[in-house]
Amino acid sequence: MSENVIELVNVRRYYIVGDFCVKALDGVSCSIRKGSFTAIMGPSGSGKSTMMNLIGCLDTPTSGFIKIGGEYTNNLNEKELADIRNRRVGFVFQQFNLLGKQNALENVMTPLLYAGVSGRERRERAEALLERVGLKDRMKHLPSELSGGQKQRVAIARALVNNPDILLADEPTGALDSKTGDQIMELFQDINDEGRTVVFVTHDRGLGMRCKDQIYIHDGKIVEGY
Amino acid sequence: MIWENIKIALTSMVHNKLRTLLSLLGIIIGVASVVAILNLGQSVTESITESMNVGGIDMVNIFPTGSSRELNVFDESFGDTLMANVDGIDAVLPTASSSSRVRSGQDILAVTINGVTSDFFDVNNAELLYGDYFTALDNINRRQVVVLGKDVADELFPVGNAVGSYVSIFRQSSKRYLVVGVLDEKEATLGNSFDSTIFMPLNTYDQRFRKVATMSSYTCKVAEGYDAITVGDNIEDYLTELIGSDYFTVFSAASIVEMASEVTNTFSSFLAAIAAISLLVGGIGIMNIMLVSVAERTREIGIRKALGASPHVIMLQFLIEALTLTVIGGLIGILIGSLISFAIVNLVGWKLYFSYAAIVISLGFSMFVGVFFGWYPAAKASRLDPIESLSYE
Repeated sequence: MSENVIELVNVRRYYIVGDFCVKALDGVSCSIRKGSFTAIMGPSGSGKSTMMNLIGCLDTPTSGFIKIGGEYTNNLNEKELADIRNRRVGFVFQQFNLLGKQNALENVMTPLLYAGVSGRERRERAEALLERVGLKDRMKHLPSELSGGQKQRVAIARALVNNPDILLADEPTGALDSKTGDQIMELFQDINDEGRTVVFVTHDRGLGMRCKDQIYIHDGKIVEGY
Repeated sequence: MIWENIKIALTSMVHNKLRTLLSLLGIIIGVASVVAILNLGQSVTESITESMNVGGIDMVNIFPTGSSRELNVFDESFGDTLMANVDGIDAVLPTASSSSRVRSGQDILAVTINGVTSDFFDVNNAELLYGDYFTALDNINRRQVVVLGKDVADELFPVGNAVGSYVSIFRQSSKRYLVVGVLDEKEATLGNSFDSTIFMPLNTYDQRFRKVATMSSYTCKVAEGYDAITVGDNIEDYLTELIGSDYFTVFSAASIVEMASEVTNTFSSFLAAIAAISLLVGGIGIMNIMLVSVAERTREIGIRKALGASPHVIMLQFLIEALTLTVIGGLIGILIGSLISFAIVNLVGWKLYFSYAAIVISLGFSMFVGVFFGWYPAAKASRLDPIESLSYE
């Protein structure tokens, strides 16, 4: 049994909206093993994106504990959370979220910039990863000059460039046609085969079942199957 | 990281050229006017200094004033007394001066007649065009010889060389004087004018032209290593003790230059301060564009935060962007301001002196404006919530 790279203990995340308290996550406990390929599944509004944001340290829980790579994140300040996002987590979004005015290479280099990596090493590592995702000849292209699948490949290269513990993907195929989506899915599988933990958020049952493990979320709680 | 941020800022500027230019206008105008004003102030000061330097920055002039028995000290030997009592004087040139008419052939001219000693020309660096200066012997013997200023010579002797000719100078009766030399053109100093003056030996002046009771003025040459202003002050102190302060005026070109530069400095600083207000106003333009830029790039900020940019890093990015903007505005302003001052100086006919202080000050000030007015937008960007920013359309 390998170690847990993500642990959630009784995590709650409440939002106050006007007079209402929205319980996006209501007491979630789970763990994700290192090297696993886990799908967080659930209908929209179930709280799966909230869970991903919490795991990715973009958000902090109202109560409960989150441990990322053996590190408790509760008492970390903004700078330390940024550091975790930078070193331990790589994000892939549905809408790609590339920096529009920077070319593919610059996009991939950006996390290394925040990690304080030297210019030359940034370039070398980014080039290697772009080559790895099959975009060797698209490095100098702006996101607007790339297809959806290519954009997502750039995003995946960017998520991997700082060698994170976890690759977090939020509906990464949601904006792609099914053929391209399959290719991206295969890329995720390859990445997982290399030993990287991949956490995959989706509402698509079929996609979710392609992952090795599944966590179902419904109304802010983990449920057994759905 | 700084270079990457500057690059991001420049890219964004290029993408929004017109908007950038408009928001920079305040800074550009502010810096341009500060630079132009300070450059012009500097040029005025330097032109004054330069014109005084031609002859006379190392001179102190004493002008006896009024009529009183006290003025009797101002005789020909006063210079020796002065030099014995005040340090730092190389020579004292007494000058007796009056105006008169002079005639050569049919031409009659109103001129200034100066009675001077023979070392007058040398001390004043008055160069000869023709002939020679009169000598100490000419002075002792009260010979009726004169040296003509350039304009006088040109008027009376439009063709040929005046040396060897005679001019008639009127007093009660007209007397003839031999022209021994003609001076080259020379700009007037504070104490003496040259071009429209006829110089004759002091003793000749006294005996043959007009009795000298008191000298019109003394020109003191300040010795090397002494400060003309200090020497002037010392002369003033000495004279005040000797005869009281009512009967003379001491002038030095140096003190006038100092006064003039004080006046222009005060004046140009005042104008520059007013111009600096437009720099401040320009800062509001910067704040505005930065706020727009932060709002427009909310999503970008979210992405950067997701990739591991700390609030500090985001803050720095937008501060550097504001700084880049203002520095570029400042540089454009300096260029325009320099061109304006260059144009004005050329128009008026001065020489352009760059006020390097103006460049440093205005660049520094526009950087300050960048940081000051960029702070709030940058802080706002750094505090943005990553999740909200990521879902921003």
